Amino acid sequence: MDTVLQVKDLTKLYRRRRAEPVVAVDRVSFSVSKNEVVGLLGPNGAGKTTTIKCIAGLIKPTSGEIWLDGIDAIRRPGKAMERVAALLEGNRNIYWRLTPRENLEFFAGIQGHPVGRVRGYIDELIELFDLKDKERTSARMLSRGMQQKLALACALVRQTEVLLLDEPTLGLDVETSYELRHILKQMGARGERTILLSSHDMHVVQDICERVVIINNGRVVVDDRVRSLMKLFRASAYRFELEGQLAEELALTLRGRFPLLALSATDHRTYIDADLKDGNELYEVLDILKGGNTQIKSIGHKEPNLEEIFLTIVKGQLK
Amino acid sequence: MRYLALFMAQLKIRYIYLKRYYFDTLSMIVTLFLVFLIIFLGASWLLGGTPGEVGDTLEGIVVGFMVWSFALMAYGTLSWGMIEEAQQGTLEQLYMSPLGFGWVTILRVAAHFVINVLIVVVILFLMMATTGRWLNLDILSLIPLVLLTVAGAYGIGFFMGGLALVFKRVQSALQILQFVLVIFIAAPFGWTPFMRFLPLSLGTRLIGAVMIDGRSLVELAPGDVLFLIGNSAVYFGLGFLAFKFFENVARDRGLLGHY
Repeated sequence: MDTVLQVKDLTKLYRRRRAEPVVAVDRVSFSVSKNEVVGLLGPNGAGKTTTIKCIAGLIKPTSGEIWLDGIDAIRRPGKAMERVAALLEGNRNIYWRLTPRENLEFFAGIQGHPVGRVRGYIDELIELFDLKDKERTSARMLSRGMQQKLALACALVRQTEVLLLDEPTLGLDVETSYELRHILKQMGARGERTILLSSHDMHVVQDICERVVIINNGRVVVDDRVRSLMKLFRASAYRFELEGQLAEELALTLRGRFPLLALSATDHRTYIDADLKDGNELYEVLDILKGGNTQIKSIGHKEPNLEEIFLTIVKGQLK
Repeated sequence: MRYLALFMAQLKIRYIYLKRYYFDTLSMIVTLFLVFLIIFLGASWLLGGTPGEVGDTLEGIVVGFMVWSFALMAYGTLSWGMIEEAQQGTLEQLYMSPLGFGWVTILRVAAHFVINVLIVVVILFLMMATTGRWLNLDILSLIPLVLLTVAGAYGIGFFMGGLALVFKRVQSALQILQFVLVIFIAAPFGWTPFMRFLPLSLGTRLIGAVMIDGRSLVELAPGDVLFLIGNSAVYFGLGFLAFKFFENVARDRGLLGHY
């Protein structure tokens, strides 16, 4: 597959007066193929936004390379920007005093598209984002969800190959979030755009993205297909069901050996959820339980979700 | 074609703002006119219409005020305009134009200038009607002269706009500078030989020569016109370079989107 976006050893240091520089992004490398939808995940402050802004030319990297469609984005930002549009987190991204149509026309103009040539596409976008009724309303008067839909439409109207979306569903109501997800999913399925999306909402990522790049402390810790990650974690996620209560002493021993293990209990049952790397670890758990004369009712695989996988990775158990 | 599209987009947005927020537009014109009236009434009381240099006569005040209106709007487009874009979170979107942020800004300046001409013409007629002194409106001479003169104000605007990208608290400096522009325009030209090195100063005098003395561009001393071209090129150029410098610093420190 053609690589459309390639990030190589991207590093961003913020120098400080009389202090060690802050490393926002540390030798991050990944690539995105044509029409792929990739999720960029990481806890707060991991470097997601910095990475996205570097790709969009808004932050100057300290070192490293960014290639867009074979164009060196750091040396030739103008040429590269013909290929990228971004929806940035925490920004309005749109003009509140303009109507949706005026906003769309303006951003098409900023990209260098004459209004006459994009009018048809603008009609399509207004239709797609269900903004027809509000076409003549100032963006300021729209609901938060509508504004966000308009902001996404304004990124689309630039008609770029690559779309960078930083937290596109943050702060939206459930319904609008679903609507946006649906639109993005369709775009992905139809192979219309190449999308790099960052989100805290693992449901969104699991729903839309084929692949995820997880960064933590400025570094890439995982770069894998969502499906493979799920498979990997399904194989290692165990749930033990025990008869009665677990002795305090055993619980402590278990926790000491497997710090990330989760214990829960009802009146007559205790459940242990744990990620076990291999058969040896499984036997270790069994050995500990045997010592307490506890009766095991069942042992099974637990269906993982991306959220748990993400947390496990970020907490550093699996690298 | 792409540059034309960008220019048209900027022109349209400016036009929409002025029309949709016509009350703001009107109050801007009225405020400027009221300020003029105060100066005019004060000056006629003081001077009683003694002829003299630009800045000393009532005609001179009309011309000076016209240049100040232009300069104020030119300066505002870049300085206050940049702060507004940063605050409303659209600056980064503008920045991502494939035509480059420099062109986005220059074409915005051009689009705003077109609209500003219309506003200043309204104010100018109001001033001429009030004072009863109808000045020579040789459009062909005035447009290049006004452009050259105001280029200095754009240069200062670029500098301050760039400063605003990096140092977020420049509002009071911006306000003070608006009145420094008055000094450039109104200080008596013959005061010191250094006056012609300031922005706006020589240009205002040449505009006065056209509007008050009825001369045309070709009748002006070529040395003065050349000096004005050089002066404007230097201020505009330095302002723009400073702007690019500050923009680079903002990009390096990741400050573009923050306000």
